[in-house]
Amino acid sequence: MRPEPLSPAPTEAEDAALNRTQEAVLSAYAELIEELGTDDVSFRLIARRAGIGERTIFRNYATRVDLLLATAAWIESSIFARPESPSVFDMPLAIRDAMEAYDRRPELAHVVAETAMRGVSGAAPSPTRDSLAAMLAREVPSLSEAERESIVAALSHLDSAATWVTLRREMHMGGRDIADAAAWAAEAVLDPIRGRVAS
Amino acid sequence: MAEAADTPTAIIARAAEELREQTFDDISYRALADGVGVSERTVYRQFPTRAHLLEGLAAWIEATEFALPAFVTIPEFRAAARARFGAFDAMPAYAFVCARAESISPTGDSERPFLARTIEAMIETAYPQVNARDRRRVAATLLYFASPQFWARMRTGFDMSAPAIADVFDRTAGLAIDRLPTMSRMPQ
Repeated sequence: MRPEPLSPAPTEAEDAALNRTQEAVLSAYAELIEELGTDDVSFRLIARRAGIGERTIFRNYATRVDLLLATAAWIESSIFARPESPSVFDMPLAIRDAMEAYDRRPELAHVVAETAMRGVSGAAPSPTRDSLAAMLAREVPSLSEAERESIVAALSHLDSAATWVTLRREMHMGGRDIADAAAWAAEAVLDPIRGRVAS
Repeated sequence: MAEAADTPTAIIARAAEELREQTFDDISYRALADGVGVSERTVYRQFPTRAHLLEGLAAWIEATEFALPAFVTIPEFRAAARARFGAFDAMPAYAFVCARAESISPTGDSERPFLARTIEAMIETAYPQVNARDRRRVAATLLYFASPQFWARMRTGFDMSAPAIADVFDRTAGLAIDRLPTMSRMPQ
């Protein structure tokens, strides 16, 4: 287990409770990332855009990394928010929608993808793990533990900004082709369980 | 330190050495400059931003530590990917750098990476009658599930080690390939 950091990145529950100042900081930073990229944005610039003092940012986010991780979490939960999927068999559709959303905001998609690749000191890489496992347990209760884990792992990997980034960067695909390929792969993952739902 | 071919390579090799002790974010340009014996300005000239440094470092690591064993057939590719997950487990700090580098906004125009082209050629050879879209869907799935990002997500988000990660990769790759029509199912 990692030690408790001094200023932890907000968890999903805390995320909802961001105060107005924090929200202003995070949305200002997200805006500036889209305009300038992650490297060229100073705390001073963020403070000016958010209409607050630079010191207020430091009080809330002690380091640049803390601020970046909090911003990535905010981007995922607000800009790339997903509607609740009632069934695991809706995941290909949800993934298609998510890929189209990432395609509309490429800089932000890269931030979300990269911060999830930093190991335990980064953003949580599989935020949908528990809800996917719960849906599968409810809809296809006959699955073995290992089968369920494998399906959850594959779907949570596909339902992420890294999918959009990789297929664009490595395969040189456009937005529609990415959405198509990701949804198709999710269908492949679901193939063996289509006929096994609980009656 | 060992004689390096050129300054950028020496800087990268130095950064790779530092990764053994600290995270990428803690590596300073100052320390790299001192370690190589050049000015900090030279380091900035070679790597104008940390994104450039991350990409250069990952390319060096991929080439020196994580080169995928040569493959032609799909079973050879699956075995090569499994072996590479083991290599990632043996050097996690290096593997996380590769996963991060492949996730950032690219710093320049790049041609399609060798691995993507090789996987596409492999699928085309194995399934010459299958339409191009389905072939591309399979190639994308194989590439994405063999990636360092997949390893990183499974390790951090699912507490999996290389054999379990390779099992999920293999199962998913098999399901994707099974979606392709085979010769025997085609009309005569």
